Amino acid sequence: MKLLALMKKEFSRFFGDPKLLITMILPGVLIYLIYTIMGSAIFGGSETAQYDFKVYVSGESQAVQLIDDAVGKQEGWTAEFVYLPAEDAETVGQAQEKVRNGEADALLTFSEGFDDALAGAAAGGPVPTADLYYNSESDASAAFASLAGGILDAYGRTFSFTMSDFAEAADIARGVMAGLLPFLIVVFIFSSCMSVTLESVAGEKERGTLATILVTSARRSDIALGKVLPLSCVSLIGAASSFLGVVLSLPTLMGMSLDVAVAGVGALGYFFLFLLIVSVVPLIVSAIAAVSTLSRTVKEASGYTGMLMILMMVFSLVSAFVQGIGGWVVAVPVLNAVAAMQGVLTGAMEIWKCLVSFGLNLVYTALLVFVIARLLSSERVMFGK
Amino acid sequence: MLSTETPFSDFGEEVVRAENLRKTFTLSRKQQRLEHTDFPRKVAVDGLSFSAYRGEIYGLLGPNGAGKTTTLRILSTLIRPDSGDAAVCGHSVTREPQKVRDTIGFMTSELKLESFFTPSYLFDFFGAMHGVEKGALAERKKELFARFGIDRFAEVRVRDLSTGMLQKVSLVISIVHDPSVVIFDEPTNGLDVLTAKVVTDFLLELKAMGKSILLSTHIFSLVEKLCDRVGIIIDGKMAADGTLADVCGGMSIEEKFFEIYRGVKGETV
Repeated sequence: MKLLALMKKEFSRFFGDPKLLITMILPGVLIYLIYTIMGSAIFGGSETAQYDFKVYVSGESQAVQLIDDAVGKQEGWTAEFVYLPAEDAETVGQAQEKVRNGEADALLTFSEGFDDALAGAAAGGPVPTADLYYNSESDASAAFASLAGGILDAYGRTFSFTMSDFAEAADIARGVMAGLLPFLIVVFIFSSCMSVTLESVAGEKERGTLATILVTSARRSDIALGKVLPLSCVSLIGAASSFLGVVLSLPTLMGMSLDVAVAGVGALGYFFLFLLIVSVVPLIVSAIAAVSTLSRTVKEASGYTGMLMILMMVFSLVSAFVQGIGGWVVAVPVLNAVAAMQGVLTGAMEIWKCLVSFGLNLVYTALLVFVIARLLSSERVMFGK
Repeated sequence: MLSTETPFSDFGEEVVRAENLRKTFTLSRKQQRLEHTDFPRKVAVDGLSFSAYRGEIYGLLGPNGAGKTTTLRILSTLIRPDSGDAAVCGHSVTREPQKVRDTIGFMTSELKLESFFTPSYLFDFFGAMHGVEKGALAERKKELFARFGIDRFAEVRVRDLSTGMLQKVSLVISIVHDPSVVIFDEPTNGLDVLTAKVVTDFLLELKAMGKSILLSTHIFSLVEKLCDRVGIIIDGKMAADGTLADVCGGMSIEEKFFEIYRGVKGETV
């Protein structure tokens, strides 16, 4: 009951002040605007591009028909599927060469009896394989790979699927975008959390209103949770806004329609993207709340939180641009989510990493709540001059 | 520390008992300069013992920096003594702080109310914090708001209230849970004469209701007007403690205070 009353107070404080609500929604709008403008500048006009894909296919699967249907739904897109051996390419090697040279847009290979083997694999039989070869130096090839990759990702879970990009010099702009997206998401989340948490914790401490609550018989852990939970919910509004901003600006950014962009990341990809955001928000809120509890004034807390933000930005950038970071990254708070989000956005999603990052971030949050409760009990922290 | 295994087992009419309370604070270099001392620690309360009884007002009288506020903060469980212990309604402030907080109402100018909310909202909020049942809370709000003239300002945000009204709201909220012991740090400080009278009258009313009140003050007239017992604190030590009549011994409290002060400090004021 006391925890509920504490949470209700935080919500009343937030929803009673329209200015605070606006600061939460603004980041998403900003992301949308910035990314749309950046996307238009980089891929100007390509969102209405007309594509006539030439795709080689080795082996057979119903998935080809699904991809063809999806292509047909895109305005101005058509696809010609050429089954191997063909006149201009008899072997898989020759077809790969055509894709590499830009004479074809993609090559799809399915292991023998692919569709039948799917059912067998579900029952413990050998796992069928599918490969998609493309060349992201060509916008058409990248657009097809994004669409086909999404469909094959959703086609079934009982086969091994590999996407291989022949681009010798990867499209730097697109690579940078994929690297920057999670970084920007985290930065915007941090800003949302900072604006509400600093005011609610350091502000209350500075004004002496937190001490008034400490004189009541509410447990310190309830007071800590009564801050972190509602502030996380409120910050989630900001996070959801940022997330929506990213989703809506992705098509322009990647030079494709919304349907294709969504198919590229895949429903599961978006689900994990949101799950990762949900795990990062309470973690950042509790980290800022702990720093705010330690600080004497909002100004002091802002200084420390600024340093925390810089640290997080450096970590996120390292994760975005340094190749070959090991599996240990999954144990590093926030950074694990950034790395997992990058995996989702580049089509290299690893579910176990998403789930472990999600779980660990919640565990770190619980630990921080415990730390805040201890800090609230500390006379030196709460009443030290 | 208190010696018995079951401390304060003899709790009866004695609602507050402090035994050998000692509290020191670390001084920063800047604070050392301001205090003109080379010692890194300051003794705020030095072996303080006293008792307060049911249905009486006990006043801690002393100059600024004597240790009054520190003592009240210890009793309200906001800070812990370095040594010694105190019991409020039989509960140790060091071992059962939550139970102590259930039984006390603490008011000091350092504890503030969030200016964004209204008195009515805050009354309900702090009622919930103390676990007061909703029906009883509504009844108590009606009664106390009417008694202090807050009812007309119940839905006005705290930031728009006058200083006097804010003090009344703070007072009412500090006793939202009908505590057995009310602890007030300088209850009339900064109040205009009218609000000060409302507060002092209410303290007498609480006393008549059988509540125990502990207050700190440096105002002699307030002690004479309100207190049944008084403890004079100088430099963190209890210089005199007893009923007002016993402590004063026929003198006014002001005369007696300065006599004791000269005796302790060896200097005139």
